[in-house]
Amino acid sequence: MPSSRRFFLRNGAFALAGTTALPGFLVRSVLAQAQATAPNRRLVVIFQRGAADGLNIVVPFRERNYYAMRPSIAIPQNQVLDLDGSFGLHPSLAAFKPLYDQGHLAIVHAVGSPDMSRSHFDAQDFMESGTPGNKSTRDGWLNRALQAEDLRRPAQHTAFRAVALSADVPLTLAGQIPAIALNNVNNFAVGGRGPAPSPAASAFAAMYGSSGDRIFHAAGEETFDAVQMLRAANPEQYAPANGADYPKSEFGNSMRQIAQLLTANLGVEAAFSDVTGWDTHQNQGSVNGQLANRLLDFSASIAAFWRDMGDDAEDITLVTMSEFGRTARENGTGGTDHGHANVMFVLGGHIHGGKVYGQWPGLDNDQLNQGRDLALTTDYRQVLGELVSTTLNASNLGLVFPGAQIAPNRFLRLA
Amino acid sequence: MQPFHGTVSALLCLSLLSPSGLVTAQVAAQTPVASSRPAYRSTQLQGDARILHALSRFTFGPRPGDLEVVRSIGLDKWFEQQLHPESIDSSELNRRLAQYPAMQLNTDQLLYQLPSNALIRQAVNGRLSVPTGEPLQAIYENQMDRVSARLQQQRQQNAPLPQQTAAPASGMNAPAMEGQNEASPNANPMNRAGDPASQEMMSGSAQPSPAAPAQPPVDTLLTQDILGLPAEQRVSRLVSMRQPELDTFLKSLKPKERADLVSGLSPQQAELVSALENPEATVVDELIAQRLTRDIESSAQLQEVMTDFWLNHFNIYLRKDEVMPYELVSFERDIVRPLALGKFEDLLEATAHSPAMLLYLDNASSIGPHSIAAERAAFNASRRPANQRQAPEGLNENYARELMELHTLGVNGGYTQADVTQVARILTGWGVAQPQRGGGFEFNPNRHEPGAKKVMGQKFKDHGEAEGRELLHFLATRPATAQFLSRELAIRFVSDDPPQPLIDRMAHTYMTTGGDIAAVLSTLYHSPEFWSASSYHAKVKTPIEYVVSALRASDASVDNLRPVANALRQMGMPLYGCIPPSGYSWKSTDWVSTGSLVDRMNFALALAAGRLPGIFADWAPQPQDDPPPAATQSSDPIVNEEARLEAALIPAGLDPATRTALLQQFHDEIAQRAPGAAVVTANPNANPRRAANVLQREDQLLAGLLIGSPEFQRR
Repeated sequence: MPSSRRFFLRNGAFALAGTTALPGFLVRSVLAQAQATAPNRRLVVIFQRGAADGLNIVVPFRERNYYAMRPSIAIPQNQVLDLDGSFGLHPSLAAFKPLYDQGHLAIVHAVGSPDMSRSHFDAQDFMESGTPGNKSTRDGWLNRALQAEDLRRPAQHTAFRAVALSADVPLTLAGQIPAIALNNVNNFAVGGRGPAPSPAASAFAAMYGSSGDRIFHAAGEETFDAVQMLRAANPEQYAPANGADYPKSEFGNSMRQIAQLLTANLGVEAAFSDVTGWDTHQNQGSVNGQLANRLLDFSASIAAFWRDMGDDAEDITLVTMSEFGRTARENGTGGTDHGHANVMFVLGGHIHGGKVYGQWPGLDNDQLNQGRDLALTTDYRQVLGELVSTTLNASNLGLVFPGAQIAPNRFLRLA
Repeated sequence: MQPFHGTVSALLCLSLLSPSGLVTAQVAAQTPVASSRPAYRSTQLQGDARILHALSRFTFGPRPGDLEVVRSIGLDKWFEQQLHPESIDSSELNRRLAQYPAMQLNTDQLLYQLPSNALIRQAVNGRLSVPTGEPLQAIYENQMDRVSARLQQQRQQNAPLPQQTAAPASGMNAPAMEGQNEASPNANPMNRAGDPASQEMMSGSAQPSPAAPAQPPVDTLLTQDILGLPAEQRVSRLVSMRQPELDTFLKSLKPKERADLVSGLSPQQAELVSALENPEATVVDELIAQRLTRDIESSAQLQEVMTDFWLNHFNIYLRKDEVMPYELVSFERDIVRPLALGKFEDLLEATAHSPAMLLYLDNASSIGPHSIAAERAAFNASRRPANQRQAPEGLNENYARELMELHTLGVNGGYTQADVTQVARILTGWGVAQPQRGGGFEFNPNRHEPGAKKVMGQKFKDHGEAEGRELLHFLATRPATAQFLSRELAIRFVSDDPPQPLIDRMAHTYMTTGGDIAAVLSTLYHSPEFWSASSYHAKVKTPIEYVVSALRASDASVDNLRPVANALRQMGMPLYGCIPPSGYSWKSTDWVSTGSLVDRMNFALALAAGRLPGIFADWAPQPQDDPPPAATQSSDPIVNEEARLEAALIPAGLDPATRTALLQQFHDEIAQRAPGAAVVTANPNANPRRAANVLQREDQLLAGLLIGSPEFQRR
């Protein structure tokens, strides 16, 4: 292909829309995508499952008690990547440093869910539903943010509006707005891949299309809409741009596929991936070791994604979160146990980065939450509320985070 | 794009507006849309529709011939039999289950014979002696080598650290060895699985050791030599091999050779070969295989449906702790299945005492804040320097909360946070003796919170373990519990939004029969709401219902359960793989999604085309089948073929619109793509072998489309 990938895809899609041989739903999608993508920014959400150790990720290296409480796992002052004279990145996050320096990466510290649960299950659910303490919520904050966007500005959307790189739709994206879950972009086909739909796929499309079953008629239509769109976009041709080099890890692969979907111009507004391996109860390591390895993969994958997106990164906002932080003190087995407040990264073209946000509660013994964890000073929903209102135009934050009283005058002004 | 999650009422009306095939036509229905009364008053299912409805709800889906069997027994009598599984012949099922000998063992025996990785680490550290004598010694030593290699690799990665890898995580009562158990909450609930057809591994832990040293090539003569041995000698030869020789050899085998390796082995020998490779994965594989075998094959279908229901109600996550797969064997076999149709209070009591539940919801690590154990711990902590203090252990409310919220009263069951704390205090001391060795329930009075407690206004006097038993009785007999359980059952068996009068009737039965589950189901069975035409096909199949019903409808011979387990994982419903205690949802909105439909269609096509290894469905007409009446025969052979397969797979029939679309596509596109196919079909004598191949491929595609159809997504 002589022209650039993006040029081809954009123009290819419009050229397709002009032909008459296409099924109606594909034409509709392409048109919808033209409307849907133009003014929109895209939000990418990364969930670090297992409770990441925020205190060793963005290190408060001026805190004497940090070193006293973590004799074998603390990151030495001379090893951190100094951000502002008080906080420094774990050395494995070197890929983040230029993004911070360029003002694209913002950090929020001492942030998290106000619920005191130390259960992974509950805390992940609470974080994803956006209603800490309320277990009966069945939909996710990001789905409700898309609903709020629709209230503000109804528009047609493609089947790829909300997409998760996983086997099923995570709670974050679950709800009234249809969301796609896929494990592998290149396997998202019925009856085998190929330039044309398989006979089985055509037959299924016709059967679901004629069915009087409202739920499955619509689900089938969306499915074949998505499958066709993906085939037309031919993401298999995709090669990372700008020399982006993704780690050959599960998370690197997920970020690569999110880039694939975003560059294929499928109308993605919200994308989700999780990244696992943070539950470091034992032997978590310091400058090197278990956590360092996770952070290397984490930061290299995200930095590769950012590089890959090139100019398109202007309209992308990426946010990371984890269900809770870990104990301020290391435990008897070279690890840390379940704690409370944590750190979030926000990366984006419109982010006022290069700054560590949030009120710092301190790490003296009497400043710790329940005498054991970093205290919480910022509700994570303030961060997300600000992002969804600036990126998705979801201004009805009462719908997105019911009961949380997130208002623009309480924003951190990071976007 | 319209949101596709229509309201339930819209859906119910819809299923009436589009009668599917002959059977629905037997609904004695006036047009319900015109009526303002609830649909179930005026439209009750009749005749075969009743049988198909019952089969779709009280079984994992009808097999060919089931309709006729129930017709001859009589529906009511059949249901009575299902309520009393002990009356149903299970000899054929038991013959199949004999393939999984370890599933008969007690937890401690199981752990001894197929040691967990926690026990293997103890053996590596010299805290557990390795059994002498083959084959146990080989099982232990091979796994110790693998675990040591893994630990060594970790140590190299963590090079600058003080070497603490070998230190115990904490005492034997530690809730989980999470740092070492990579699969714990770190893991995405749904492991990323590839194409179900191509995936071979059933449990994630069956991966070969990542730290295996560089391996010498395997002598092909050696391979042939071993594979050529008679069964007993072949097994002895493997037992005599050690690491890295054994894994090198096993990894070098091609799929065909792999099959040859275990061919002709007795179940015990096959289990041993699997254990030599990975003892823990052997337990997980057998646990999953026996469950799916029962779901697919058991004649006591309602017992299996209810076992599935209660395993979801009392959800346990397989990877919470390394001992969990072992505890789950007993949890399911000794508690859930035998009590699935018994008294709810017995089931509640047994789950509350089970190591699986006590570990999964952390009650085993809960300590009364004023107990003797807590006071001792505080005293010891005060003598340590500040930076070495362990997090103080104390009350854990996890089980207390879920016991009320998920197991008995329901989230709106009228309890407060203060009640949760009180329940947690009552249950302090309920723990597990030597959890990693399968020690069983233990009440530890030193951990029990002293003093009287009060839950929802009810006082519980201070008397040790008996407090907990009184509490469970109290919870099991609350009207809120009767309502909550009745609603859950009605959602499973009737509709996503079941009518309140039905729930009330079931709850009344619950209260008057001392929580008799069979009696509650009987009330459901005898309720007009259940037989309402609006309930017919109202439920969307969950992944397990979909996959198992497909295998049953196909009458497939299933010799390998791994592709089935992989498909469930791919569809987001891995067996024993639900991390949160809430279990999986029974409602359609949680299972109808774009990604999941792609997975279901691909599963249908793979099953029908014989692309799932070890699973075979025969689509050719069987000699014993009655020939179809000539009057119904079409001149178009594809129409006849479709009709034959549709009758077998979807006895309630396709929606005519779906069928027309299917046949249209089949003619237009498929005939074009395979020139000559239609001609051969019409004239099978032209070239018998080629004709047979074409027919077979046509049948496979037709069957795949039927199993993947919108109609087959419902029950």
